[in-house]
Amino acid sequence: MLTLVLFNLTNGIILGLFYVLMALGVSLILNLSNVINFAHGNFLALGGYFAFSLAPYLGYWGAFIVAPILVGVIGVIVEQTMIKRVYPRPHVYSLLLTFGLAFIIQDMCRTIWGVNGLPLSIPNALNSPLSNQFFFLTGYRIFLVAVVIVAVAALFAFLGFTRVGTRIRAGTFDLDTVSALGINIGLLRALNFGLGIGLAGLAGVLAGGQIGLNPNMGDDLVLPSFIAIIIGGIGSLTGTLVGGLIIGIASAVTSIWWSAGSEVIIYIMMVIILVARPRGIMGEEGMMT
Amino acid sequence: MIALEAEGLNTFYGKSHILYDVGLKVEEGSITTLLGRNGAGKTTTLRSLVGLTPARSGKVTIFGKDTTRTPTYRIAQMGVGYVPEGRKIFAHLTVEDNLRVPMERPGPWTIDRVFKTFPRLAERRMNKGRQLSGGEQEMLSIGRALLLNPKLLILDEPSQGLAPLIVQEVFKIVQQTKADGMSVLLVEQNVRASLEIADYAFVLDHGIMGWSGTAADLMKDEERIQELAGASAEEWSFDDDLSAQEAVALSHQPTTVA
Repeated sequence: MLTLVLFNLTNGIILGLFYVLMALGVSLILNLSNVINFAHGNFLALGGYFAFSLAPYLGYWGAFIVAPILVGVIGVIVEQTMIKRVYPRPHVYSLLLTFGLAFIIQDMCRTIWGVNGLPLSIPNALNSPLSNQFFFLTGYRIFLVAVVIVAVAALFAFLGFTRVGTRIRAGTFDLDTVSALGINIGLLRALNFGLGIGLAGLAGVLAGGQIGLNPNMGDDLVLPSFIAIIIGGIGSLTGTLVGGLIIGIASAVTSIWWSAGSEVIIYIMMVIILVARPRGIMGEEGMMT
Repeated sequence: MIALEAEGLNTFYGKSHILYDVGLKVEEGSITTLLGRNGAGKTTTLRSLVGLTPARSGKVTIFGKDTTRTPTYRIAQMGVGYVPEGRKIFAHLTVEDNLRVPMERPGPWTIDRVFKTFPRLAERRMNKGRQLSGGEQEMLSIGRALLLNPKLLILDEPSQGLAPLIVQEVFKIVQQTKADGMSVLLVEQNVRASLEIADYAFVLDHGIMGWSGTAADLMKDEERIQELAGASAEEWSFDDDLSAQEAVALSHQPTTVA
């Protein structure tokens, strides 16, 4: 029984970490650009596929570094050519645009890499379980946890301690004033968008090593990521971090006793939060206005 | 030399026409005040000048360059500091982080100098913007704009909602920036106080520039000043619909802490 609980708890943490990576990216973009990116899961898939195609040339570690950066660059290009044009328009435009982008990227993946799943091979050193009793604690899973912790810490340090990061945080509050202080907010938004998309790319590389690649691999993560943001509190990245972990763990732990409930529980939690504390766990009053 | 000149500005919010052929001028090294009653279009004029709400027609020239269609951040980078209405502090950022937002234009103003000029901000450097008093927020908003090392400082009602003593302090700072060689465009409701420190004055009325001249001339025009000051006269007076006794009674009621 203990092993079963630990097994599910580990699964929950891993799942939660994927939600966190996804939701942080969605949150960054939502906070600064007011765009809900429905294509986020497809950028995740793109990350995985890029790693797959780069690995023969750069090796796993090279692909691991380069693929997320490349996805981030593509994010900047998409922002500059498409997303940026709908900023002055009502929300529905950006919703439709990213919704359409999701299909386009998905079909591009199908066309280039095929409809069938592909494996993303990981170095043998990462592949073996650490012990027989805790068979679920593979080197790869520990690596995955470490990478996410480092990435999230780096993100928070960037936002907290650099001038550009400070400007991004200021911009989530009042873009007009940031631009009146001499900051090119177009550039700031592009950079921020690329950063959020790059996080999805990283999640894709990590997910590829765990569950393999397919054109829909990010789809199941998109909705829970939105819910993680709502539960954590819109506008608060710390909240998003907490929200992602909570729903990941809740969903895995629920499946111990009620396997069909592992998805439902996320929605139940969202409803409870929306009724009891609409601003979310760490959200601030009025951040949506 | 002229720091800023606007000619024939017509500005709209959606379909509503706010400014009608507004023109104004800020001489280099002067304090120019833009006066007018609530809703006259003062804030809109400033927003048009810095490019936040660009005029649909007309021309803005800053330091001899046509900036009518220049994006706001480029205007700021030319050396135009803007202290917006309501101060617009980043409420969820600390005082220090608020000061790290502006682009660093070379010049005498650094974060250290802002802290030296406003010791109160130094004491509160780790406090969030929302925890500051109105006066402190105003200092922060001015200090933040000064970090651009502007040649022209535009202030939108810096005295709004501040206690008289703090207002005096704010006006002293504005005078100091002029002494440092900056040109100042000051929008105010506080008519008499701003005329005291200003060189030139413009009066906006329902989106139309109704009067312009030297501050000294406007000061002599008691009738116009009365009209401008209106309900928001800077001398402490009670509203017409509230008798003095009632007001005193109200002011003695215990206030509940929110």
